[in-house]
Amino acid sequence: MMPSATNATRMNLPWSRFLGRHLTLATGAGILGLFLMVALTAPLIAPYDPIFQNADVRLLPPALAHPFGTDNFGRDILSRVIWGARIDLQIAVIGVVFPFLIGTFVGTVAGFFGGIVDAIFMRLVDIILAFPFLVLMLSIIAILGPGLSSFYIAMALVGWVSYARLIRAQILVLKNSDYALAAVSLGFSRTRIMFRHLLPNAIAGSLVFSMSDAVLVLLNGAAISYLGLGVQPPVAEWGVMVAEGQSFITTAWWITLFPGLSIVVLAFGFSLLGDGLGEWLGVRE
Amino acid sequence: MKSKWKTMSMATVLTMLMLGSTIAEAAGVLTIGRREDSTTFDPIKSAQNVDNWVFSNVFDVLVRVDKTGTKLEPGLAESWAVSGDGLTYTFKIRDAKFSDGSPITAGDAAFSLLRIRDNEGSLWSDSYKIVETAEATDDRTLVVKLKTPSAPFLSTLALPNVSVLSKKGLEEAGEEAFAEKPIASSGAFTVKEWRRGDRVILEKNPNFWQADRVKLDGVEWISVPDDNTRMLNVQAGELDTAIFVPFSRVEELKKDPNLEVHIDTSTREDHLLINHEHGALAKKEVRQALDMAIDKKAIVDTVTFGLGEVANSYIPKGSLYHYAGNYQYPYDAAKAKAMLADAGASDLSLNYIVNAGNEVDEQIAVLLQQQLAKAGVTVNLQKVDASQSWDMLVAGDYDISVMYWTNDILDPDQKTTFVLGHDTNMNYMTRYKNDKVKDMVAAARLELDPAKREAMYVEIQKMAKDDVHWIDLYYSPYINVSRKNIGNFYQNPLGRFFLEDTVKN
Repeated sequence: MMPSATNATRMNLPWSRFLGRHLTLATGAGILGLFLMVALTAPLIAPYDPIFQNADVRLLPPALAHPFGTDNFGRDILSRVIWGARIDLQIAVIGVVFPFLIGTFVGTVAGFFGGIVDAIFMRLVDIILAFPFLVLMLSIIAILGPGLSSFYIAMALVGWVSYARLIRAQILVLKNSDYALAAVSLGFSRTRIMFRHLLPNAIAGSLVFSMSDAVLVLLNGAAISYLGLGVQPPVAEWGVMVAEGQSFITTAWWITLFPGLSIVVLAFGFSLLGDGLGEWLGVRE
Repeated sequence: MKSKWKTMSMATVLTMLMLGSTIAEAAGVLTIGRREDSTTFDPIKSAQNVDNWVFSNVFDVLVRVDKTGTKLEPGLAESWAVSGDGLTYTFKIRDAKFSDGSPITAGDAAFSLLRIRDNEGSLWSDSYKIVETAEATDDRTLVVKLKTPSAPFLSTLALPNVSVLSKKGLEEAGEEAFAEKPIASSGAFTVKEWRRGDRVILEKNPNFWQADRVKLDGVEWISVPDDNTRMLNVQAGELDTAIFVPFSRVEELKKDPNLEVHIDTSTREDHLLINHEHGALAKKEVRQALDMAIDKKAIVDTVTFGLGEVANSYIPKGSLYHYAGNYQYPYDAAKAKAMLADAGASDLSLNYIVNAGNEVDEQIAVLLQQQLAKAGVTVNLQKVDASQSWDMLVAGDYDISVMYWTNDILDPDQKTTFVLGHDTNMNYMTRYKNDKVKDMVAAARLELDPAKREAMYVEIQKMAKDDVHWIDLYYSPYINVSRKNIGNFYQNPLGRFFLEDTVKN
């Protein structure tokens, strides 16, 4: 397996042909890019203050002045969805990065050293996996108190196990490969072998997985906020907005529909990007 | 994949069929959807509406509150007489039977009254400490002697918690078993089955002394915690009635030709508790400024959809001795800000406990946060589980929090004592202290002349308002919904459902 070589030839393709061949990847990246733009320019493009309450325009259906309608406090849904993109993208990114880093490190070390180190880390993984994911998350957040930072900590404490397992499996295979043995016989340090030789070749699967993981994290973040344990009002976050609109779902559908749709589309974007990356890097699902 | 979907859809259809069959019921059985299930059937061991509202139809009381919630009327006591000094009450007990056919005697009545006073598990013993003795001089006569005269005493006998229980039935079954399934009930219905967490199944008590008044064969109180689901169940005809209709759904349900929305006067008052022991909140001027910073009208409009009414006193409108002319702090954020600055609290930051998952509570929290911000007050919302929030309030681990109260008895004494006159429950968790108010509350309890008593209550309401013991927010009605074929389904202001009059066509 020589992924780096194949990548090099594929990367030399002109952009248009590259995009043509990797429609999934391009669409995913496009959706993400769009959300990223929206998030970055939120103060400029949001027509209203997302937390300003105006009792005169309560529960208005979508119209020109308020394209996504208003909620029960008279807040503009469009502005809230736009500002919510900031929070939700942040959730998806931070919620993936830390588990990814921890999991990658643990997985590499466990896979490379084997023996007692491997046994200790993998039993820890088993213990964490023995608990239902959301239950464990909820109990950690309950201990730390509601809020986004608690969510990130809980995510980092629980989410790394999948990455550790993935990387470990790859490392186990790779450490017996010819080039790894060659590096050992050349007398390179273990750290160098682990992180310079093995890891770059083992990480593709995790990268792809991290994209689908971002979807789960996003949904978890929304779910935790929905339960009142994540983002606190009046901050606009899609999960919170869905929760707030729930009681009006039969009378004012727009309060829940637009943030809900945003979650779906962003999740879809991450999914496509993940699939596209997998295709491109030659990782089998 | 295909077979998986097939199994799943089969399973869904089966579940729906099963659900359908459990909800479908025989004619004459009224189904009522509510948020929570009952917690006990021992009346002295609960102080919750979910229980009291069922007790009223399973047990009867000596003295009842009428439909309008303003007068007392005879229940199991046919008539009564009070001695000149106001210390001795003589009740003539009606010739009636428990559901097992045994007679209801004055002995049972005396037993029930002394039990709520003396039993260790009783949550209400304080309210009945005033009873010196309760004796059955014969099977039909109950003589109660009080330690001191008490204006509210008679109305406390209408509390569902002091219902007449069968002494023999309770002792034979044992307290524990009785609390699960009360035998020998004195009310319109008996408990046929209690599926904990799901439903309470009642059936008509043929031995009830007003059995000819009862049209229903039975009643099922079904717990459907989700508001939307409960409303949909009534709309779909799976439930005959549902209580706790959210304010936001009233307009829509009114348009449904199959449904009738009942908006019944209640004694519910929502208020903002203030912890008087926390820093600047101890200053009267700070509390007054907070009162002025809150736009109650906006809460009524936004949260109750105009169905509530701005509150001006802790005694709800329509209740005995409510003072309609009570002062109302005007909404003035700028003045509030200036007052806070004068009191040296211009950078006030408050910890606000919110009941997570309570739609109305969360909406009020978001509104108040913005309103108080205009007066320069930072509000940190802390969402916690309902069971936890109560403990935090009791422990004083809060600055502000919204709570409500519904009256249990006609007389204002009970709420007043809890809120202003007591020192055992820290004046309903507020830690409010004013000895002048406290003394007047005690004096008003002993005053037997209604006119003088009313004047005292007016004075108490004025003083409480001036002190801002808490901030009165709004009064709201009971909102229930029923199918069109259900008649006479209503609640009196104290929350009692008159199911003995309800008909299902």
